[in-house]
Amino acid sequence: MAIAAQPQMPRVWRAESKPHKFCPGCGHGIVLKALGEAVDALGIQERTIFGCDIGCSLLSWDFFNLDTIQTHHGRTTPVLVGIKRARPELVVVSYMGDGGAYAIGAQHLVSSASRNDLVTIIVVNNTVYAMTGGQMAPTTLPGQKTETTPYGRDVELTGRPMLGPELVAAIAPPGAYVARGSVANVVQLKNYIQKGLENQIQGRGIAFIEALSSCPTNWRTNAAETWRFLEKEMSAYFPVGELRTPEEKPAARLREVPAHGPKP
Amino acid sequence: MSVAFKPITTENGKGIFHLFPALCKGCGLCIEKCPVDTIGWARQLGAFGTPVVEPGHGKPCIACKKCQLVCPDAAIWIERRNGQGRTDALTAAPQAPGNEK
Ligand SMILES: Cc1ncc(C[n+]2csc(CCOP(=O)(O)OP(=O)(O)O)c2C)c(N)n1
Ligand code: SF4
Ligand code: SF4
Ligand code: SF4
Ligand SMILES: [Mg+2]
Repeated sequence: MAIAAQPQMPRVWRAESKPHKFCPGCGHGIVLKALGEAVDALGIQERTIFGCDIGCSLLSWDFFNLDTIQTHHGRTTPVLVGIKRARPELVVVSYMGDGGAYAIGAQHLVSSASRNDLVTIIVVNNTVYAMTGGQMAPTTLPGQKTETTPYGRDVELTGRPMLGPELVAAIAPPGAYVARGSVANVVQLKNYIQKGLENQIQGRGIAFIEALSSCPTNWRTNAAETWRFLEKEMSAYFPVGELRTPEEKPAARLREVPAHGPKP
Repeated sequence: MSVAFKPITTENGKGIFHLFPALCKGCGLCIEKCPVDTIGWARQLGAFGTPVVEPGHGKPCIACKKCQLVCPDAAIWIERRNGQGRTDALTAAPQAPGNEK
């Protein structure tokens, strides 16, 4: 008898934990599919460590057949940088939400970027604190209604949405890879993540990929509205594309800093 | 894979549409992305007791695999009718040199 058709999950996915714990239509599943395909393509399953943050990202604690650690808001990055320093042959992935990465644990992102740490960071931007019920996050769009902005986000009062990749691109030394993808273009997102993993493997510097993602539960959207918000409103504010590649000439964007620091 | 999922298999147009009800959460993201609007709600229920999806509600399937690509739960596998659909990669990315297991 022929073997019945089976789901085409990335090989590194842990089939026993599927269906996974994310809500229907959640973008986390699509980002983790792109990450899984990238790990498969590079053949690095045996030496990849996956770290997830607090927030809905932690629902991935048993998602992969990878050694996995879950840490506190934004601390995922320094924890994985520590693992990388102790075991440089490993490939470390720091998987966080926008709230964990840009608000509650932002200092760790800034420090890692300025040190050009060898870590691949993936931030899932769903414009809200999803796990705690959809409160305003640093990434909430102007006018967007959330649990804590029932009349829409007032930028006069709460500032403008945070641009994470732009921030990392501005401070990271040469060798960094920085990009923003979207779950609306899974193949492109997978390529960005794969380049980010290669950047770490080649020892060039930090890799930072933001993924525009969906949270239908807190957005209270049906499938059509979910795609519209992601592809029209979010993509208009958060441009998708590569911001830094390790091959670029740094002079155009960055002041050259001598390796031994400024002269006294 | 040590666990097995049972498919509902429907032939439509250029594609063989395998849907795994134990994985489908009825989010509808695939319905919105199908360029020929062939995907619609089915009678069977999925992982959360909501309807799963099936082809046959619009023009014939062109086997573009968009639905498979966007499904967050890997609940769809589109096999091309000429039998060349058995690939588990989003893109046919070659093994990177030096990283062979
Ligand atoms: C220091 C601290 N403050 C607040 C919380 C409560 N908390 C848990 S998850 C979360 C929101 C996480 O949002 P985000 O990082 O965007 O992830 P998402 O759930 O949206 O994927 C908050 C505020 C906490 N765990 N620790
Ligand atoms: S609350 Fe939002 S981000 Fe969290 S699992 Fe559900 S859809 Fe995904
Ligand atoms: S393969 Fe393309 S045409 Fe066929 S059902 Fe999926 S999205 Fe529609
Ligand atoms: S995208 Fe996947 S989980 Fe959502 S309705 Fe379609 S098949 Fe089901
Ligand atoms: Mg969030």
